[in-house]
Amino acid sequence: MALLQELRELPLINSGVTKTRTVCGYCGVGCSVDILSKDDHIIGVQPAMDGPANLGALCVKGQFAYDYVHHPDRLKKPLVRREDGKLHETTWEEALQVAADGFRKVEQKYGRHAIYGVSSGRTPTEADYLMQKFIRAGFGTHNIDNCSRA
Amino acid sequence: MSNPLSDLEKADVYFCIGTNMTECHPVAATRMKKALARGSKLIVADPRYIKLAEMSDLYLPLRVGTDVALLLGMAHVIVRENLLDHKFIEERTNGIEEYIAHVKQFTPEWASEITGVPAKDIEKAAIMYASADKASIYYTLGITEHICGVDNVQSLSNLALMTGHLGREGCGINPLRGQNNIQGAGDAGTAPSDYPGYQSVLKPENREKFEKAYGREMDAEKGITKVTALELCGEGIHAMLIDGENSVVSDPDRAHTEHAFGKLDFLCVIDIFLTETAAMADVVLPATAWGETDGTFTSTERRIQRVRAAVTPPGEAKPDWWILSALANSMGIQGFEYDSPAEVFNEICSLVPIYAGVDWDLIDGGQYQWPIPYKGHPGTPRLHEDGFTNGRAVLRAIGYRDPAEVIDDEFPVWLTTGRRLQNYHTRTQTGRSSGIDYLAPEEYLEVHPDNVQKWGLTDGGWAKVTSRRGEIKIKVKSTPRSPRGTVFASFSYAETPVNILTGSGYDPTTHTAEMKVTVVRVEPL
Repeated sequence: MALLQELRELPLINSGVTKTRTVCGYCGVGCSVDILSKDDHIIGVQPAMDGPANLGALCVKGQFAYDYVHHPDRLKKPLVRREDGKLHETTWEEALQVAADGFRKVEQKYGRHAIYGVSSGRTPTEADYLMQKFIRAGFGTHNIDNCSRA
Repeated sequence: MSNPLSDLEKADVYFCIGTNMTECHPVAATRMKKALARGSKLIVADPRYIKLAEMSDLYLPLRVGTDVALLLGMAHVIVRENLLDHKFIEERTNGIEEYIAHVKQFTPEWASEITGVPAKDIEKAAIMYASADKASIYYTLGITEHICGVDNVQSLSNLALMTGHLGREGCGINPLRGQNNIQGAGDAGTAPSDYPGYQSVLKPENREKFEKAYGREMDAEKGITKVTALELCGEGIHAMLIDGENSVVSDPDRAHTEHAFGKLDFLCVIDIFLTETAAMADVVLPATAWGETDGTFTSTERRIQRVRAAVTPPGEAKPDWWILSALANSMGIQGFEYDSPAEVFNEICSLVPIYAGVDWDLIDGGQYQWPIPYKGHPGTPRLHEDGFTNGRAVLRAIGYRDPAEVIDDEFPVWLTTGRRLQNYHTRTQTGRSSGIDYLAPEEYLEVHPDNVQKWGLTDGGWAKVTSRRGEIKIKVKSTPRSPRGTVFASFSYAETPVNILTGSGYDPTTHTAEMKVTVVRVEPL
């Protein structure tokens, strides 16, 4: 264990590496990790020896499954479906306007109970809170759920 | 979880049921392994001979969907052997007489008939669990993803209550949550029945509080669940906003889900990739990923922890809190003038009693586990130490019922589903991580070697699996991990969409789908 600790604490050969303390994004155990980043890229994930849930342990997903963050498939701009039936990149301004119109039109046509929100168990709590607030403050209904039923 | 993760190192006896802990919560399993190395005992109930079963002192290979019968048989033995904690029962529970009368009819022999577990092993498990000083229960979706999920959980609760294995170190009823922040999502009020902090929408005082906070009138009745909403798409529900969920692949009965989304007038999806679900949307809003976002997650042990941005998001991707605020502002919805996630978190703390004792600055070190009812309170690592929130706990008389679908001549094989170590959910993330893709590039059906031979399959060859809802093509892997007559596959791969097959039924109370039991036909291809 002591050796492992030393290895993990070895100074990184290349300078310019930043450590950011955060929590693993996979299961619900809540392992503390340090993201190692350089030139604005994640180059590694280390388990935190003082993480209250994991005490320095980490599984294969938490340790290695982070390249998706920089994957070329990441969405970089908002998309809207146009008359050709396909999704096209657009500005935030237009996407937000189309989304706002989409919800308002449905509300006008079918009433406020016709809108439903599905929140995530992956996003931060602040996102979940604002999802339910969007539905409750926006429409006065409780038509909101998360994915824990599936 | 009723107890903290540190208690995983403190029990004398562990009863793990419906949890594949070494694959799905590997770090939690690591902590339990330490206790096992020191001589603690492990009982495992699972239809599959998983790694945890290999590690166990007593393995109960129950047939899928028969947990209630097993737990009734165990309760019967605990009563018969007089291993009840009379003091705990008297001080903290109601309904013991009716409960004892109820379980008297369910002998281990009766339970054995249904579960397939030898009666003597049911007796042994009951005695090991009940006579231990510190005994804890761990479970996951193997307990809840059934039409009788609530019955399963209440049956486990009965065992803990009758033996007093609750509210103490190394005891408790501990569901390990599957997603990094599914606890936080519940805490934040993303449910049709509760405002943030599990404050019921049915109570007038809660409605008043949130009407005041949000500046508008709210319904006095509950909303509908996601399951009901999907059924009502096109007939009552006409627009959806989905944040970070790939329902098309993760939900049961994929054809039904796709059909439902197809009937919406308007679908808006917030995500980091163009998932199968996002591809059906009218508007897709690009979100920041883990490592690019500041905020909080709440873990399975109710620990509130900070997540921090380490790198810049790609292109114009934005944090979810920013996207939702911008959308609300575009629609003229009041109260979304946020400049940071800290402001959002502090608003939660102001409205949620279990978060009342913290704020954004206080949680920086991650030492708080809710409830934290007031500033200066140290948090609550272990629940129910001094009593139950609702007064006394009730021992409930629960009966066994068959799963929604039972094998017959047409569909003679049980299919159960779950996760694998290397992959997460629908692989939108792990499928895009090169090392993981190398370790586990494709899905396979786990079939017992005897069944491989009997059904004319070949190890590594292809099979067609058919249920009442559809069929898939999948590679076969011969393994004694699967019991005879039961096959297993994970739901992670869009290329092998196992959830085309599932969706036989739902728990009537929670609307959780019976993902763990589907009847199928397996044929060589």
